[in-house]
Amino acid sequence: MKRSPAWPRHLAMVAVCFLMLVPFYWVIKTSLTGENIYAYPPRIIPVEPHLFNYVDVWYLIPFARYFLNSLIVTSMAICGNLLFNTAAAYALTKDFPGRRWLVLLFLSCMLIPFQATIIPAYLITSWLGVLNTQLGIALPLLSTIICIFVFKASFEAVPKSLIDAARIDGLGEWRIVTRIMLPLSKPAIATNVILSFIWSWNAFLWPLIVTRTPEMQTLPLGLARFMSVLENTTGSLHAFVVLVLLPGVTIFLMAQKEFIRGLTSGAIKG
Amino acid sequence: MTAAPWLARKRTREAALAVCFLLPALSIFFLYRILPLGWNIWLSFHSWSPLKAAQFVGLENYQEMLLDDEVFWESLGNSLIFIGCSPVAIAAALGIALLVNSDLKGAAVYRTIVFLSYPLMTVAVGIIWRWLYDERAGLFNYVLRSAGVIDQPLPFLQSYDFALLCIIAADFWQVLGFYMIILLTGLQSIPIHLYEAARVDGVPTVARFLRITLPLLRPSLFICIVVGILNSFTSFDLIYVMTNGGPGHATELLITHIYKSGFGQTRFDYAAALTVVQFLLLVALTWIANRLAGGNAGALER
Amino acid sequence: MSPRARRALRIMRHRFVVAPVAFILVVAGWNLYVAAHDDGIITGSVRTSDGRPASGVEVVLLERDFVNYQEKYRTRTDADGRYRFDNMQVYIGQLEARAPDGTRSPRYLLRLWFRAQNTDVPPLLLPPPKS
Repeated sequence: MKRSPAWPRHLAMVAVCFLMLVPFYWVIKTSLTGENIYAYPPRIIPVEPHLFNYVDVWYLIPFARYFLNSLIVTSMAICGNLLFNTAAAYALTKDFPGRRWLVLLFLSCMLIPFQATIIPAYLITSWLGVLNTQLGIALPLLSTIICIFVFKASFEAVPKSLIDAARIDGLGEWRIVTRIMLPLSKPAIATNVILSFIWSWNAFLWPLIVTRTPEMQTLPLGLARFMSVLENTTGSLHAFVVLVLLPGVTIFLMAQKEFIRGLTSGAIKG
Repeated sequence: MTAAPWLARKRTREAALAVCFLLPALSIFFLYRILPLGWNIWLSFHSWSPLKAAQFVGLENYQEMLLDDEVFWESLGNSLIFIGCSPVAIAAALGIALLVNSDLKGAAVYRTIVFLSYPLMTVAVGIIWRWLYDERAGLFNYVLRSAGVIDQPLPFLQSYDFALLCIIAADFWQVLGFYMIILLTGLQSIPIHLYEAARVDGVPTVARFLRITLPLLRPSLFICIVVGILNSFTSFDLIYVMTNGGPGHATELLITHIYKSGFGQTRFDYAAALTVVQFLLLVALTWIANRLAGGNAGALER
Repeated sequence: MSPRARRALRIMRHRFVVAPVAFILVVAGWNLYVAAHDDGIITGSVRTSDGRPASGVEVVLLERDFVNYQEKYRTRTDADGRYRFDNMQVYIGQLEARAPDGTRSPRYLLRLWFRAQNTDVPPLLLPPPKS
């Protein structure tokens, strides 16, 4: 059976990949260059490359502070997600009166996009007194409906005999979840962690609304804030961009499979 | 007999446990999804400022929005242009997915590279593309001027005509990987024996594509379209970083208008009305997409 | 090796463990290096145009103040034409040598990897004296 030759497809894919990588290269090149970045014509290879733009960024911008804030918010979001979603999903696997209505309620909550809630969410957060704190930023991110259903599907696949055996052994409900169901749901846990990581790490609009002082800002906010301050003729802003993107890209490259599986399962169930 | 009360107690105990387990997640959703939606609707019918109490004003906010507010209509038009451009992105992603899906060596590497742009912070993507579009040292102006297409640098992000398209291009770059992954998953779930049977029957490739691939991809295409619609209504990060509404209001979207009304002018009531309209539009568009996909979220009959 | 030890070893080799551990080690190592070398000692020498060490010459360290460089610290070269600054909390600055007769060496752009890094800079060359 004749198959069409592979090289035109390879060529097309290489061209596509080249186009997708051009912005990355351009930003890295600008962050390394030693000349005035507004000089025309812009060089393809950086002139007199040096890494001192990164040193500049480190001392000019409270990078550590922003990174810490982002880290705290993301950790809270991931922990909250794992805890709350597991509990809710386990409860949804049991049969109790009103369960169908609850599932319907959850599904309809998914229809409400975050952007439709920002004004009252801001008012609620300020009423709760957690405005301008990391907890206030993390609060809406502590549970997501897609992840609940991912866990629910995974829990429902656990054979009932195991659960019954555990109950006979006298394990409490929460122990059943942690000792039996969670170890069998490792993909669901990975999906949860990845999805909550992306949404909390990259969140911009919500932290923008909730933070009132620069000390509480997360990385995306720091980036936007220093966009105007650092518009000088060196590549410091671009060095900042590269530094900000590095954690996300590294984690993605390390956890590609889980990333992609998380997105597809989340999207398909959504 | 004591069996019945005991059973009742076990059921209530189970129900109580379920409620306990559900409470944290439910309270988050109640606080941050259901309550805000209701509050928005309530607020949109009132006139409220932080200084004085709310007054019921009926449809006044909506009247102002529909009759007096040009920015509203302009942002609506911009959102529709945005949505109109998403089929282009989906088609391109479909092409890439088809290429990657055919047994190509190193497909995983290609897939990673195309998908690399999706997990990035949208703010960073905005800054990168703003730099690419720069008048003095941007790559696009450099390429166009070197190729002799134009003499003077084009102010991409400051021109009334091109600014929105430029932002759409930046969003395109970021979301292409996501579409590709969704479509790839859909492609890989199509049973191969259908293709084999078609090839044995002598069906040409194009017809194979149109008759087998496309219909079976309906759920994935539906997801892509819904994501595209959502994107076009909610691309706050890109616009804030690249043009902040654009020259005049050429790149204003509903979400930026809401943000500026609510947190710039502190007109929470008007912003609430805008939010309600945006929400209704989103629901309507998703419903229309659902109908066009044949109902049931494009799910396939077995 | 017992199964438990084998399993523990397999977990430790997993990329989710190796990568963060490697990262933490690198960060710790870097911090240790910085702590050992951050006394802010900047040394160098000044030479006249004929290559001889210039003693008694004033050397100025300018610190960057967002856009401009402001004169901050001064010292004098000793008999061998060498000078030394102590406890300089800078990571970017300029060094300039000023001869008594008013001639100045070209400014040397000092860029360090971290604040108060101990460095030894290339010699500053004084131009020929005005005649």
